[in-house]
Amino acid sequence: MGMRNGSSFNILPETTHGLLTRLWHIGRKEDRVVEADQAAPEKEERSEPSLICPPPRSRSYFPPEDLQSCLESHVREVFGPSLPEDWQQTPLQENRLKHRLLARLAAELGHAVPNSQLHQMRCAGDVLGFYRTPVKDGSKIDELAAAELPPNLKIIWQQ
Amino acid sequence: PSWGHQRLSWGHQGPPLGTSGTLSPALSPVLRRCHLPVSPALSPVQAWVESLRHPEDTLRGLAELHPDVFAVTPRLDVLHAVATWQRNYKRISHARVRTRAEVRGGGRKPWGQKGSGRARHGSIRSPLWRGGGIAHGPRGPTSYFYMLPMRVRVLGLKVALTVKLMQDELHVVDTLEMPSSDPRYLQDLARFRHWGRSVLIVDVNEFPENISAAVEGLKSITLIPALGLNVYSLLKHQTLVLTLDAVAFLEQRLLWHDRRYSPLYPFSMPYRDLPEPPRAG
Repeated sequence: MGMRNGSSFNILPETTHGLLTRLWHIGRKEDRVVEADQAAPEKEERSEPSLICPPPRSRSYFPPEDLQSCLESHVREVFGPSLPEDWQQTPLQENRLKHRLLARLAAELGHAVPNSQLHQMRCAGDVLGFYRTPVKDGSKIDELAAAELPPNLKIIWQQ
Repeated sequence: PSWGHQRLSWGHQGPPLGTSGTLSPALSPVLRRCHLPVSPALSPVQAWVESLRHPEDTLRGLAELHPDVFAVTPRLDVLHAVATWQRNYKRISHARVRTRAEVRGGGRKPWGQKGSGRARHGSIRSPLWRGGGIAHGPRGPTSYFYMLPMRVRVLGLKVALTVKLMQDELHVVDTLEMPSSDPRYLQDLARFRHWGRSVLIVDVNEFPENISAAVEGLKSITLIPALGLNVYSLLKHQTLVLTLDAVAFLEQRLLWHDRRYSPLYPFSMPYRDLPEPPRAG
């Protein structure tokens, strides 16, 4: 092997293999330093409240007792003066008002109209009928597992 | 072209309108109307316009969807036909076995016709023999290419989109802008919104860097351009996420086939009087 210039480690390796091994180890340490630097800002980014995702909510919904009055008040608030005599007959033709009403109801009751039923909401009565139907989250097997079972019946349900 | 809806940008102010209960009346809703004429007997179907900027931002606006694309009769036979066609038309089966003529040997009669007491045979490579040729085996390469009519393939796309909407597996998003390129953010968002195990995201324009980087590491979320939308992918992924531009593009392309003339020569060749190059749906 000839003379090597510019070697900064003051070690004369006996073979090329030894030199390559030392270079590889030094490269690895630099990678570790870089990784540590990248991990720190990532953690800071994740700790911002706008990026942390809330845990998934259950989709179960039970209609509250004052549903009709609550709905009526929202309809009057959104539609203002232009209401027919029976507030349940209010047509929801205007997209802006429909969105406002349905968004407010979803925000208050925690249950939004799914996309498949949006076109069926033609008047306020339809919305009332939708919000009267309760929604269950689990499947029948979950219910069965949660119910009281005789001692010789076991349900093992792994999702 | 004016799309007829408004887009507003907002900083880290928190979720505007969501089911969490906080309202921010400063933002006006993103409303989209159907640009193409709707038959007077039908009325448009609707979908919420969501946003990817925050997990709870699901009630940004209301989009109207054309009923002749998103509310057609659910033809499951058409879906099956198109999905089977997509699997088979590219198939070339290379299976090939040798017949008695191709197997090495077997030109000579093994023993005389009469007198040996054994059955009569003409060659040792007939299909009756062990090591002999196969009589009616695969003689590849075999092509399974066939084409369904263009209108059937278009109807398949329409039926698939209808089925996705009516099963609550279709979501409309205003843009694909994301606050971070972390794949975990996208996964958490999909899990929070109960999107299902696999998500297909469709857009017309180029994808922003954040979402491309986030999806690269994920196997359950796929990005495709609107031209690449197909029935097989729609059935394979549980949820479909369309941007407003993609909705307009799909409506325009799929509805054109309802009112077009039959081609005198294939549409892949240039037409002088059609404004834009039409392509198979």
